[in-house]
Amino acid sequence: MLVAHHDRISRRRLGALALAGASGLLAAPMPLRYAFAQGGGDLRVALLLPTSGLQAQIGQACRRGADVANDVFADMKMAVKLDIANYDTETKPDVARTQAEKAIDAGAHVLVGAFDSGQTIAIAQVAEQHGIPLIVNIAAAPQITEQGYRFVVRNFPTAPMLITGALALHKEVFKVSGKTPKTAVLMSVNDTFGTAMVNGIKALFPTLEMPYEIVETITYDAAAKDLSVEVGKAKATKAELLLPVCRLNDGKLLIQEMVKQRWEPMGVMNPGAPGLYEQDFLKTMGKYSDFLISNVPWLDPRTAMTKALEKRHAAKFPGDQLDINGGFTFEAMLIAAMAWLAAKSTKPAALMEALRLERIEQHVMVGGPIEFDAKGQNVNIKSAAVENLKRKPTVVLPLDSGAAPLVFPMPGWTDKRRT
Amino acid sequence: MNALRRLTGNCTPRTLWSLAALLLLLLLAPAFLGKYWLSVLILILYFAYVGQAWNIVMGFAGQLSLGHALYAGLGGYIAAGLFFHYGIGPWAGLFAAVAAAALAGAIVGYLGFRFSLAGVYFALLTIAFSEFTRIGFEHWSWAGGSGGLFLKVDAASNLLDLRGGPVMFYYVILALAAGALVLCRALLESRLGRYWLAIREDAEAAQAVGVPVLRCKMLAMVISAALTALAGVWNAFYYNNLFPETAFAMSRSIEITLAPIIGGLGTLFGPFVGAVVLTGLGEAFTDAGDALGIPGIKQIFYGLALLVIVMFRPAGVWPWLSARLGLGERTP
Repeated sequence: MLVAHHDRISRRRLGALALAGASGLLAAPMPLRYAFAQGGGDLRVALLLPTSGLQAQIGQACRRGADVANDVFADMKMAVKLDIANYDTETKPDVARTQAEKAIDAGAHVLVGAFDSGQTIAIAQVAEQHGIPLIVNIAAAPQITEQGYRFVVRNFPTAPMLITGALALHKEVFKVSGKTPKTAVLMSVNDTFGTAMVNGIKALFPTLEMPYEIVETITYDAAAKDLSVEVGKAKATKAELLLPVCRLNDGKLLIQEMVKQRWEPMGVMNPGAPGLYEQDFLKTMGKYSDFLISNVPWLDPRTAMTKALEKRHAAKFPGDQLDINGGFTFEAMLIAAMAWLAAKSTKPAALMEALRLERIEQHVMVGGPIEFDAKGQNVNIKSAAVENLKRKPTVVLPLDSGAAPLVFPMPGWTDKRRT
Repeated sequence: MNALRRLTGNCTPRTLWSLAALLLLLLLAPAFLGKYWLSVLILILYFAYVGQAWNIVMGFAGQLSLGHALYAGLGGYIAAGLFFHYGIGPWAGLFAAVAAAALAGAIVGYLGFRFSLAGVYFALLTIAFSEFTRIGFEHWSWAGGSGGLFLKVDAASNLLDLRGGPVMFYYVILALAAGALVLCRALLESRLGRYWLAIREDAEAAQAVGVPVLRCKMLAMVISAALTALAGVWNAFYYNNLFPETAFAMSRSIEITLAPIIGGLGTLFGPFVGAVVLTGLGEAFTDAGDALGIPGIKQIFYGLALLVIVMFRPAGVWPWLSARLGLGERTP
């Protein structure tokens, strides 16, 4: 049937059909794309995130922070509305670059993204070539703000800032609790992030005068399905503190194995890594997720804007936890909105000038006002000690942002406080 | 003149005119295309080029390599590293890059072909090499380790250092793609090309009639690896960052194979047609996913579309299309 049908098509007609087909294939989504960028608003913001692919889960968590931004602005009586268009980078730098070109083609005034350093740099080049401001929501590679970009600002700590902030908080935890471990073991996943963190810790550790000694560094593959040997080795060191640089799945394996092997150090405190505070981790690990401490930038629970954001997020996404990803992406939207409020213009140069002069006192993450140095880096971001309490990541330090008292040393796995 | 006649001898006038028109269109494209469409065209040419390089080893010589990201990664890292650390420009660096990738191709090829690893076993060997190179680069501080290697970005156009905007990179990848097409055509017309086809069809029979099978297979690997390394150099300077987990990723190797498979394995224009179809489909589904706000929808429909193409055109799109359009390309 198919053959018979094809036989009726002349060569010339097939040529025309092939050309039309190819053009149609590429142009078909055009109306969707342009309609998307005309939603009505003061400023068109293109949000570029990895909402599919390897980093999909985190990309979607970031996006939720942006999805409630306009509602929070309204709650805070800010006279601004953003027209946010979402672009999926598919966790690939080449797609990120093409998506950035597409967003600018569709009329974006500001780009926001992209969680991952490689994708962010791909987008930054496009932003520079077009002279369109890029607000980096999350990406820790120091190089992003070391390239001399004129149209890039970053509201996220660099990897050294993350480590320095986290290790400073360790001292704070020991000071507040009155208990100081003397030895620690560093366990890390050996992917890009983990290796960068381990190298950073090793480089910065001697300069920070930490009260404990790292007696062993144990790395494992990102795709590990069993960490019994690694945990056994760590337990054998008799270290009083575990510093895990993990992600979600290996974080679960790690804690499961610790419970199984009855290894109960004085504490489990990550030095600026994800995993332990994530929603899926808390759900899966249940009572064993409690009393683990993450030292990461976090939402300041005491500010009015954070309360508004938490309320809107909970209403719109009742099953999802608001975390660092949503928090920083919301702040990127806030930065864009404030730039527009200051510039009252969508012209890139005016927006960029407003971004450079910005000083946002009221925001959602722990730390000082949002403002950018000459390189476009916000240097006022601080880390918080976030302890899982009753299955909820809770800020315990710094004290002026604390939502609950610190519990340290960590209660044992069978302690009655774990319910 | 004779060489040109050998290259174009089998082509019908219609084919030659179509090719000339296509080349002219591609040369003029930056003048009338917006930057987004230009970036899409760059992707098409990139995948067409790397597909063409892979086609030599699989399409012509019949050896399944699923680790070609190794050569692109090596090429990119070496040229970028030399530029980053010593200021050696990419045009000089690419000699080292190509030499390293060719050597890697020769090692993989020798281990595979000398010990008669074929089919999936050879494919596994190529994957293994790609994987352990990734792990090695994750721990090699000269290459930035797992934290990545970042090249300094410079907006001013400088062809000597491959620094500049997308138009320059477009013409470079266009030249590479056109060059690879001519080279592959020349190779197919040569004695080596005919040996490859004989090996692909039946290696034992080829050996029985005196074809130097090991040497021919090795040459296929080395040429393919060297060409892929050039793509790696281009890629590194275009994106300005390299991470082992993406440069040597299995997914990158699979991407390299898709355009020739969809376009038509072993054909000269298959990789080009496949790249147009794949990038076009990819862009269409990405847009639909963005507009509908359903993350991941692209991957589902993209997979389904590829399934449909493979089911209805198992030999690829190009052989069918060329027959219908009367465009003469010798289908070996």
